[in-house]
Amino acid sequence: MSGSSSRRFVFTLAVSLFTFCFLVLSTVCAAETPRRIISLAPNMTELLFALGLGDRVVGVTTFCDYPEEAKKRPKIGGMSNPSLEAVVSLKPDMVVMTTDGNQKEFEERLRSLGIKTYVFRAKQIREFPQGIRDLGIAMGVRERADRLAGEIEAALNSFKDTLRVARHASREEKVLFIVWPEPLIVAGRGSIAGDAMTILGVENIAADSRGAYPKFSIEEILRKAPDIIFIGKGHKEMEKVSQGLLARLKTVPAVKNRKVFFVGDYLYRLTPRTVKGIEELEGYIEK
Amino acid sequence: MKIKILVIVLITAAVMCLSLVLGPRTINPFAMDKTSREILFSIRAPRSIVALLMGVALGASGAVLQGMLRNPLADPYILGISSGASLSAALGIIGGASVFGSFTVPVFAFGGAVATGGLVGVMGWERGGLWPERLLLAGVGLSFLFSALLMLILSISTDEGLRRATLWIFGDLSMSEWSRVPYGLFFVMAGIALSVWRATALNALMLGDEFAHSLGFAPQRERLILFISVGLMTAASVSLGGMIGFIGLLVPHIMRFFIGSDGRLLIPASALAGGALLCMADLISRSVIAPTELPAGIVTAIIGAPYFLYLLRRKNVLGI
Repeated sequence: MSGSSSRRFVFTLAVSLFTFCFLVLSTVCAAETPRRIISLAPNMTELLFALGLGDRVVGVTTFCDYPEEAKKRPKIGGMSNPSLEAVVSLKPDMVVMTTDGNQKEFEERLRSLGIKTYVFRAKQIREFPQGIRDLGIAMGVRERADRLAGEIEAALNSFKDTLRVARHASREEKVLFIVWPEPLIVAGRGSIAGDAMTILGVENIAADSRGAYPKFSIEEILRKAPDIIFIGKGHKEMEKVSQGLLARLKTVPAVKNRKVFFVGDYLYRLTPRTVKGIEELEGYIEK
Repeated sequence: MKIKILVIVLITAAVMCLSLVLGPRTINPFAMDKTSREILFSIRAPRSIVALLMGVALGASGAVLQGMLRNPLADPYILGISSGASLSAALGIIGGASVFGSFTVPVFAFGGAVATGGLVGVMGWERGGLWPERLLLAGVGLSFLFSALLMLILSISTDEGLRRATLWIFGDLSMSEWSRVPYGLFFVMAGIALSVWRATALNALMLGDEFAHSLGFAPQRERLILFISVGLMTAASVSLGGMIGFIGLLVPHIMRFFIGSDGRLLIPASALAGGALLCMADLISRSVIAPTELPAGIVTAIIGAPYFLYLLRRKNVLGI
């Protein structure tokens, strides 16, 4: 074998190796945008639409009601009990789910059927921007995700700035966020509304109870005397449903000074609209 | 015997007092500030009274039912009354009925409970009277049907509020307030009075219809009166605070160990012991991991069941 042919062989080998590595790396790094996405959680649906992937969402849960367009997509069942058949029959190339309401077993089942899944792990507001960035990379919409995450980060930081100004002014307000009046369920530590209160620098009087949404003691509300009470609108007639509870809390400063506010449901799901929910609380706290 | 009754009365009174003073935080009744006074009088007092009433209703109706149906496994919920109550309350909430304000749930629950009781009565009626086996089977059947309907509503509904609003059915005393005491008191006392009045007839029924007949009781008529008394008490207790397990089933058995199965003593004793136990359980459930509250039904079963099992091994289970 002559020297030149051996050199050519080495060269060819090097080129093909390089091409191979390039191909492998490129498929790993810049994931292709999935074309048929199924979302198994309302907040994921909302986020996918916000990332401009709405057209590719081919299936949602019965709870996915935002944006308006999402309601028209085929339904695959609830969050905790999606129908495997419905998911498979929509031929998705990506199923997006969360660690909050979805079953881990369902994800394993999907993967064993050869369907790609993405599990969104952010649960708290401050983990949310990074969660969006990771999702953006996996969905092949990195730039758009970076932009959205940046906007949310900026909004969150602006809360911290106003907070620094407010700190000089007065003491920490004591706040309670009621999710449901009878039986009394409130937002504790680890809930999104609880997070929002931390960001706004107010004291959540339910922060020391167990679980994100504990069943709370009415006695403790009287004793801790919150200055402001928020009631989330989880039901169409929340004002009427809450009358009984508020009548029993009539001596609490929040009720006496008419500082009971009914707020939107932005703080029940971790979505880009969560920022709006924090703004809403801030508006009432500053009043 | 008189001493035993006195002991039960004293224990009940003591538990009532304790449940006023103790809680997430102890209140010294001789040195109360404004907040403590409010907590004591408008939160703890009505709550303890409602717990007592519910326990009384469950204990007494358990004692009556077990005798009347001649079945040691009978408890007030076996007649399907609680499933009917929860279904009706859920339907009321879905229908957007806020007509009764904060009374919506109790009113619908009571209506559903009474209607279910009536339905069970109709199903159990044959040849001019109520038959124990028919009543039991009708109750179990309706109970399955109504629970299934409730689950159906919950699984097709996307209303988060509805889910939360139906949680009370698994036993929740936190909504107790003074306005619920009068009607609870009325129906529970009416039920107790009816059943104690017919207690000798109940004793005779436990021995069998023929025997009762030969003693001069009309079995079908007595059973109807007792059934109405149980229906009233159970309906009132479900609408006051949902379902609390254990008391209606096991408290009458525990009392039978102590005072025998004479209905004239057993009904009031089971009533008081049921009341004391639920009051105690509620005290524990709102204090032990305060400010979070546990469902009282869990606590009644955790305190009561081991004690019952202990008695079961120690003494002879007779009397039914």
